[in-house]
Amino acid sequence: MDTIAAELFNPRIVDLTPIPRNHDIDEVEFGQLYEDNLSLLVAIAVRKFQVPEVDAEALAHEVFFSYLKRKNEIRDLHPWLIGAICHACRYFWRQNGRRTEQLDQALAMLRPDPATAGILDSLPAQLAAREALESLPPRYQKVLRMRYYEGYSIKEIADHLGVTAKYTQKLVARCLRKAEQTFNTTPSRKKP
Amino acid sequence: MNHSDDLLHIADCPDCRQRFTENILPFDAARRREGAREFLATAFAMDRERGAADTVARHLRETPVEQWPRLAETQALRNNAALEQMSEEGRKRLERNPIEALAIANLATSIAELLPANAYPAIVIGQIRATALRDRANALRFLGRLDEAYDSIATAEARLEPFPGAAHDRAIVWLVKAMILGQMDLFDDAERMITAASSVFGEVNDSARFLQAGVVHGNLLGRQERYEDAQQVFRDLLSVANLSRDVETQARLHNNLGYCATSLEDYAGANFHFAQSIAKFTDLGFAAEVARTERGAGLVLIGKGQFDLGMARLQEARRAFARIHMTEEAGLCALRLIETMVERGNTDDARSLSSTVIEEFTRASLDTRAIDAVIRLRASLDADGATAETVRTVHAIVQSLAMDEAAAS
Repeated sequence: MDTIAAELFNPRIVDLTPIPRNHDIDEVEFGQLYEDNLSLLVAIAVRKFQVPEVDAEALAHEVFFSYLKRKNEIRDLHPWLIGAICHACRYFWRQNGRRTEQLDQALAMLRPDPATAGILDSLPAQLAAREALESLPPRYQKVLRMRYYEGYSIKEIADHLGVTAKYTQKLVARCLRKAEQTFNTTPSRKKP
Repeated sequence: MNHSDDLLHIADCPDCRQRFTENILPFDAARRREGAREFLATAFAMDRERGAADTVARHLRETPVEQWPRLAETQALRNNAALEQMSEEGRKRLERNPIEALAIANLATSIAELLPANAYPAIVIGQIRATALRDRANALRFLGRLDEAYDSIATAEARLEPFPGAAHDRAIVWLVKAMILGQMDLFDDAERMITAASSVFGEVNDSARFLQAGVVHGNLLGRQERYEDAQQVFRDLLSVANLSRDVETQARLHNNLGYCATSLEDYAGANFHFAQSIAKFTDLGFAAEVARTERGAGLVLIGKGQFDLGMARLQEARRAFARIHMTEEAGLCALRLIETMVERGNTDDARSLSSTVIEEFTRASLDTRAIDAVIRLRASLDADGATAETVRTVHAIVQSLAMDEAAAS
């Protein structure tokens, strides 16, 4: 019976290359494909996986080249590109993690990280700020994140939103006011 | 309209793709233009190569097998398209002639490893080399040279290691690696590998390989006699195969589910799945697969003591092989039936069936050594001296002669 079992549990899985589907893509289509999707792949790498922008571009570029080798067997382009960039980002972080050298503990104690110095004092304020931010409407959250978390200038935010710098300045102020109001009206934080 | 940043939704919705992309600030335009230029140049070069005539088949046909290694010096074969054709030529031969498949994979590996670094972008070179090494590993696996197969697939994996973007290629390498590890009885490592590969195939929407990987996983569980786990895997895959309307995979999955059910002593379930498998192979016109499935089902049922059910299946398998003129296979089914008859003391039927096999083998002008072996078996049956062991020996002789003939052809 062992032989029979082995026979049945070793089906002939030979075809590792699905039937090619020849997509004859001309110059315009190749260019369009790249143009249409590069920003999407970079956006996924940056926003979903926090990959630095330069590395995100390199990953997206690699995914496109990888596509060229496999293009005849890809049925649905967008799921393939998105799946490939997601996997590439995870792989990137695994590789990047491996390359990180361990800190010298003694040296680390002598030169504390400025971002974490006094964190016990500042943490409650940071948590409160996050709580207030998360209770805002999405557009307000976005403006405040860009200004105070991602460090964009008023001009850059204005360009991104397609409005004037003056209006953006007012918008940021309004968002801050709204955050303050929300923070103060939260039941657990109401002033006595 | 409900917008979402969920990636599965983004893959299907052009509006949300647009919206998601707009939320990121534009990056270096010059770098982007340079990237686009490099992409287009590579795309056209690779498409141009693929457009050339199928030169590999001609070179292989016109060159004696022993001189194939010298084809590595042929300029026309030193490009991606030729290597893709070689991969296809090797794949066609893998089951029929794995020695030739290995020779082609060795040739492809030599060419791929010697490609100049500037021939394609680095990741494409990595993909080309990994594909050749993977085909080599697969051919070695078919030949049972597992240590060499493992070395080759490990090298293929290493060729892709520097490239995060080569997820799909890496997963295909993992699929072959899992099969090699499974054949080496390293089940834990094989399962880890196949799970990782399945996850990538699911992510890039490669349903064909997702199913392949699932079947490999189920088979690994079956070989460890974890039949309930294997059954669950095959059932899950069956729903995927039903959704993707992959009838061939459905047929193979029903066959494996039939085997699991038999091992779990659920004979009604086993019969249902074997019948489903046979019906689907019949719909596909895969006559040999119909006969093989009938034979497998019969042997499993007899092995579990379900003689009537098993013998009925073997009779059906015998008729199915005869219909497609596979006389040797039909005879091998008959020898299995004779073995069971002898074990159950039904010598008259065994004697009669052995005479029929001799007639069939003679009419088909099969190897005289095979005919002689069955004639000796009938003589033993006439003298009431044949045991089940005698029948198994004759079966082994006929089978080995059939395999020799197949290898020589």
